[in-house]
Amino acid sequence: MTPTATEASGIRIQQLRKSYGSLEVLSGLDLSLAPGHIYGLVGPNGAGKTTLMSTICNHTFPSGGTILVDGEDPAENARVLERMCFIHEDQPYNDVFSVGSILHVMPTFYPEWDEALARRLVTRFQLPLERRARKLSRGQKSAFAIVISLASRASYTFLDEPYLGLDPTAREIFYEELLTDFGAHPRTIVMSTHLIDEAADLMEQVIVLHEGQIVLQADVDDARSSAYVARGLADDVRAFAQGRDVIAERTLGRILSATIRGQVTAADEHKAIASRISLEPVSLQDLIAALGIHTLTSALTTENR
Amino acid sequence: MNPSRRSLRLYLSNKAYVVGVPIITLAAMVLVSVLIALVMGIVVGLPLPHDVEEGFRNNVGSLTALPGFLVSMGALVVNRNFSMALAFGSTRRNFWVGTALGFGLTSLVTALAAVVLLALEFLTHGWFVHTHAFDVTAMGNGNYLKTFAMTFMLSALSLFLGALFGTVYRAFGASATTVTAFAMGVVIVGLIAVGVWQRVRVVAFLADWGLWAVVAILAAVVAVVAAASYSANRLATF
Repeated sequence: MTPTATEASGIRIQQLRKSYGSLEVLSGLDLSLAPGHIYGLVGPNGAGKTTLMSTICNHTFPSGGTILVDGEDPAENARVLERMCFIHEDQPYNDVFSVGSILHVMPTFYPEWDEALARRLVTRFQLPLERRARKLSRGQKSAFAIVISLASRASYTFLDEPYLGLDPTAREIFYEELLTDFGAHPRTIVMSTHLIDEAADLMEQVIVLHEGQIVLQADVDDARSSAYVARGLADDVRAFAQGRDVIAERTLGRILSATIRGQVTAADEHKAIASRISLEPVSLQDLIAALGIHTLTSALTTENR
Repeated sequence: MNPSRRSLRLYLSNKAYVVGVPIITLAAMVLVSVLIALVMGIVVGLPLPHDVEEGFRNNVGSLTALPGFLVSMGALVVNRNFSMALAFGSTRRNFWVGTALGFGLTSLVTALAAVVLLALEFLTHGWFVHTHAFDVTAMGNGNYLKTFAMTFMLSALSLFLGALFGTVYRAFGASATTVTAFAMGVVIVGLIAVGVWQRVRVVAFLADWGLWAVVAILAAVVAVVAAASYSANRLATF
C-alpha cells in the first residue's frame, strides 16, 4: 500500500516544473510523500533527482507548480525549512572551516541535534575533525554529509547519493546507523541512489524519476513481487516461459535467465521443478533494468492503484 | 534561537579568519611602516627627523591594507556559507541578516583594533622610530573617533562589496558579476568626474565637514551596496 501525504502533513507536489534556460529538468511532476518513511529516489543521471530535492528544499526556485510541506509553501519559510536537511553530493564548504568547527555549530541549526550520534559516526567513519572540510576525500565528504544528515534529526532529511566514494565497510556502517536511528526516531528520509539493490532493504518506497517525470512510485515489496526470474537450460526456460510475459532475457553459455512479469503460483513451482528450472525473486535493480523505466510504470503503477 | 543568529554563529565558526586576520593585517601594515622608516633611517637617522616624520602623515596604508582581504572574504562568505546555511535549513533572508551582523562584528573589532594601535602609536612615539601608521591625515590625524569611524566604514564597505559580487554571482552567474564590476567602475569614474567638475564645491564641503564628510559618504555607499546585496541574495540559488 503506497502511503500518501495528507493536506497538512508530508510533502505534496503538483505539476512541478523546473527549467534551466531551454533545458526542462522537471516537467509537470506530481508526487506525494507521507511523513515518516524512507524513500529511495532512483533514475538515470540527469533525470532530475537532485533538482527535485533542491526545489523541495528551496535551494533553487521552481519554474511552475506547487510544493507543500506539511501544508505550507517551503519557499523562504523558516518554519518549514529549519526542519529540513539537504547536504548536496557536491556540497561546497567554506574553505577555512574544519570538520570539527562545522559540527560545533550544528546544534544551533538543529535543536534536536544528537551530539552522541555525531561523535559515534565521526569515530566509526574515522573522520579527521581538524581537517578542512573541503580537503576531505570523496568518501570522507560522503561520510561527513551522513554524519550531519543523521545527527540533525531533521524531520525531512534528503540524502544525495550518500554512498559516493564510501568503501563497503563504510556503506555498511551507514546502512546500519540509518536503520537504527530511523527506528528510534522515525522521520521522512528521501535518498537518491544508484545502488538500488544495496539500498533496497532501507527503502520503504522506490520512486523512479525519468526525464523530469515520476514514472513509478511503489512499495519496494510490491515492486519485487511483481516479477520473478526463471533460470535454467535455455530450452527448458523457453518452454516454461511460453505464453508468459517475458520482459528480459540474459544468457550465460547454455544457461538462460528470463525475467517474467507476474507472481509465482503453486502450479508454476511444480512445473519448474519438473523442468529443472529455478524460480527466484527478481532484484529491484534487475527489475528496473529489465523492464525499462516506461514499461515498469505500466507494470507497477496499475498494480498499486 | 533567532534563525539569523544561526548564520551569525556559522560566520563566527572560524574566528581566527573573520576577526583575527583583519587585526593581523593592520598589525602587518604597522610593521611595514616601521620597516620603511628603518630603511629611511639609514639615510636620515633614527628616530626620523621631524620633517620626514610629518611626511608619514600621508601614509595611506591604513586605507589600503584591509580592502583586498575583506572584499575576498565577503565574496567567499556569501558563496560558501550561503550554500552551507541553505543545506542546514536556513532561509535566504535569515542567512543575509546573520551574515550582515557578522560583517558588522568584523568591522567593529577591526575598528577597535585600529584605535588600540593608534593608542600604541602614541604611547611608543611612533613605534619608537617616529613613524606614523594610524596617526595620519586619512584617519583624522590621531583623532580616535575618526580613526574608529573610518576603519569601521572602510571595513564594512569592503565586506559588503565582496558580498555584493558574491551574491550577484550566486543569483545571476559569472557574466552578471563581470557586468556589475564594470558598471561599478563606470559609476566610480563618473563620480570622480563629477567631483573634478564640481571641485570648488567639493573642496568647500570637505573643508566644512572634514573627514566626517568622507565617513558619511562611505556610510551611504555601504547602505546602498548592502541593499543591493540583500536584493540579489533573495534570488540566489544553491
